[in-house]
Amino acid sequence: MLKLVIQKELRDILTSTKFIVSFVSCALLILLAFAMGAAGYRADVARVEAARRENLKQMEGLTDWMMVRNNRIFLTPQPLASLVAGVSDDIGRTMEVRGRGEMPQEDTRYGEEPVFAMFRFLDLEFIFQTVLSLFAIVFAFDAVSGEKERGTLRLSFANPLPRATFMAGKLAGSFLALAVPLLVPILIGCAVFTLMGVPLTTDEWMRLALIIGSGLLYFGAFLALGIAVSAMTRSSSTSFLALLVIWIFAVLIIPRSAILIAGRAVDVPSLDDINAKKFRYAEQLFAEDRAAMNAFSPADRSDPRKMIEEFQKFMGNINDARQKKMDEFSSRLNEERANAQGVQSSVALGIARISPATCFTLAASALAGTSLALQDRYIAQARAYQVSFAKFILGKTGINPGGGMVFRMRIGDGEQEKPIDTHELPAFEYRRPVLADVLPAALPDAGVLAACVFLFFAVAHVAFRRYDLR
Amino acid sequence: MFGTVLVKELRAVLLSPKFPATFAVCSLLIVLSVFIGIREFRGAAARYAEGLELAAQTLRTQSTWMNLSTTAYRKPDPMQVFVPGVDGDVGRLSPITGTEDVKLTNSRYADDPLFALFRSIDCAFVVQVVLSLFAILFTYNAVNGERESGTLQLTFAGAVPRTTYILAKIAGAWIALAIPLIVPVLLGILLVVVYGVPLGAGGWARCGLFMLASLFYFTFFVALGVLISALTRRPAMSFLAALAAWVVLVLIVPRIAVMAAGTLRPVPSVAETEGWIDAFAKDRMDEQMKALGARWQERQAPMQGMSPEARQAYQQSKQQEWANEDDAARQEVQKEIDAYRVRVNEEQGNRVADQERLAFALARFSPASAYQIAAMTLAGTGVSLKATNEAAMREYRRAFTQYAAGKQKESGTQAGFRITVDSQTGFHFSAPRERGTLDVSGVPAFAPPGVKLSEVVSSALIDTGLIAVLALLACAAALAAFLRYDVR
Repeated sequence: MLKLVIQKELRDILTSTKFIVSFVSCALLILLAFAMGAAGYRADVARVEAARRENLKQMEGLTDWMMVRNNRIFLTPQPLASLVAGVSDDIGRTMEVRGRGEMPQEDTRYGEEPVFAMFRFLDLEFIFQTVLSLFAIVFAFDAVSGEKERGTLRLSFANPLPRATFMAGKLAGSFLALAVPLLVPILIGCAVFTLMGVPLTTDEWMRLALIIGSGLLYFGAFLALGIAVSAMTRSSSTSFLALLVIWIFAVLIIPRSAILIAGRAVDVPSLDDINAKKFRYAEQLFAEDRAAMNAFSPADRSDPRKMIEEFQKFMGNINDARQKKMDEFSSRLNEERANAQGVQSSVALGIARISPATCFTLAASALAGTSLALQDRYIAQARAYQVSFAKFILGKTGINPGGGMVFRMRIGDGEQEKPIDTHELPAFEYRRPVLADVLPAALPDAGVLAACVFLFFAVAHVAFRRYDLR
Repeated sequence: MFGTVLVKELRAVLLSPKFPATFAVCSLLIVLSVFIGIREFRGAAARYAEGLELAAQTLRTQSTWMNLSTTAYRKPDPMQVFVPGVDGDVGRLSPITGTEDVKLTNSRYADDPLFALFRSIDCAFVVQVVLSLFAILFTYNAVNGERESGTLQLTFAGAVPRTTYILAKIAGAWIALAIPLIVPVLLGILLVVVYGVPLGAGGWARCGLFMLASLFYFTFFVALGVLISALTRRPAMSFLAALAAWVVLVLIVPRIAVMAAGTLRPVPSVAETEGWIDAFAKDRMDEQMKALGARWQERQAPMQGMSPEARQAYQQSKQQEWANEDDAARQEVQKEIDAYRVRVNEEQGNRVADQERLAFALARFSPASAYQIAAMTLAGTGVSLKATNEAAMREYRRAFTQYAAGKQKESGTQAGFRITVDSQTGFHFSAPRERGTLDVSGVPAFAPPGVKLSEVVSSALIDTGLIAVLALLACAAALAAFLRYDVR
């Protein structure tokens, strides 16, 4: 009986004009998202390469590693970020690395090119979140009420058809008829991705599969919701109106307002204030050091070169000491802020998770590595790089390139110094997260989506039991 | 006749469940968005005031005129309450120093990426997305619904001109949609007045124009719905077609347009252009170092064979002259580097403007993007926000560094540290001595570039005009389609 209902559903949907039109449009959009994502990724990689080349070029011809200034690192683009943008366009991608001290992030994508912030990108996540959910509603709104209007509902129940079977068949049938054909453009899109030269590792393919899986779960949740609402109303136009209102709130309104309202309820120390405090503390430390520099007198006054070396070592020591104090002060302030931000995001996102759209966005961006955790990962890896950079410079020059003044005096005795080999400089490559890293973050949200599917199906079941079939 | 049909239309729409649903949803959303907008604006204004205070404090605690630095802040515009635009994406402040270029950093979304995940809900968004969707909902079965229920042929059994009928249909749907827009907006304006948002006369004028653009915008979708309804026979079909048209016009076209512009007119990243400037600066500094070394060799020449006392006296007498020479050479190099930087920034600005022009041209195929552009231009939160503020800050930086340099000359502190190493006299180090805290009362303050009403209105009029023209075309097309419609 269940199989019959499912078959009927399949046939009903797959042969309708509604399906052909919607499917073709969705397929086109999905392919477009993959193609533009691949093009965007290649362009981003080219830009980062160009920036890296320029960064090394301005170091060429230097004869002393101490003179290396403006060593910049860049957040390497991730292929999955072109499909699920997340916050990757909002965080600063460039950091200037010195041996110690803070590395402020600069150059966000949207900040650099505000025209993209105006209209944003068409990524796979947007298509799933907005277009596919609308698609689900368009098919599910007249699942029950439409059949009642057409008179086929009472014909079905003229047979000994259990209501539960009918509901289950409806849901399963609609899902199979709509979700499975969508896999075709998705697979073609993946092929397009590879053909356009975007290299995905096996781990990334698995993560992409999971992203698509959660997208289909999200789609199923809206299907179940549509069927549920349809089983609560008599006319299909009422159910469509109700579903449209629910869609508007769930997809467009709740995520945004929940975060704006709940987010502002938690107090986070302002970044401007923290930066001002750091600046004043740095000034204070520097004033103390200036006094020490004025009081310096070399022990051995015979050889100018020895005097210079001693001065350099003295400078290195006070730089180190000052940097250490500065680091302690800064990391304390930064930690306070990071903790407050953590509380803020748990509260805000927790409330926003009422809507399945939030859960889907969070799950997809966690899997793609472009959730809020991207910022933390980038900063952590940048700090690790800073340590290895400092070690490298220490090895080459014997002095730790602290954030302060560096004195390098060259005595003109005419010896030709060798230019540095910029290729020796350790390169920064952002290490992408693997499935094991992101799964713990994504699983709860995917779980909520699955729970939504069951919940809405249960509601549909209960509502349909009391439905007047005539 | 027109009046009768109009009244019939209004009665039909106002009594259907669509109207209260639309009214409730739109009222809730518009009032919510204005409320959130007011809160966000007050937060931004508070942060701006705090920033100014911090900058003033930091200025007071600096001890030398050399390397005097401050921060310039971007002032939030009250129209952000309705249309925040790209305000959250563009940096809020820029360091103003003698050595670094101006760059807007610390945008709201960069500082707090949590809010970047879903961004904001604002009045323009509600009109652009929600109201247009309801417009489609109201009109998708305007004509073919009546045909299906049989009332269309009954109507035309009387002497009703087709033009009158279709215009009354459009007008009826328009009025039924204008109410859920105008009433909440009036409530929103009440909120704005109650919370004391400083809109000013210019702000109210821009508000008025924003309302006008919104009215034209949903007129387009009303006409589009009637048009599609007059082209199809079954409401189920027209519904699908209208929804598809909505998705394409509102969600898809703007994004594709901007992505296409990004691919067709790519712009080098800021990291790359900064690399060019750094490379140029490094080359010039290298040359200057070499020249400095050569100069010092020359200066040693006349001192050969002098007695230690004579050499000391000679050095004392020449000290000032040498310091001035070195200073002048350094400034010359700095001027060259600044000129190069200005050129690179100008070229980059041109490339970005090119890309934006193409993006807008492609996007303007959809009234949704035209509306967004008009709304953001009126609020002063469009793509020009970054360029205008950075240009103003660069001007300020010139004035600021000039002032600081002037003050430094007055107070007589030498720029830089002085280190002398002499095999005879040994090692000497001197750092500029502080003269206590500075009197910073005369330091010029940054005047944020306001929104010039005439400029803003004239550029917004282009897009508003475009939407009005599209709406008119849609009405004309609906009329034409209905003239050939089979009413039976």
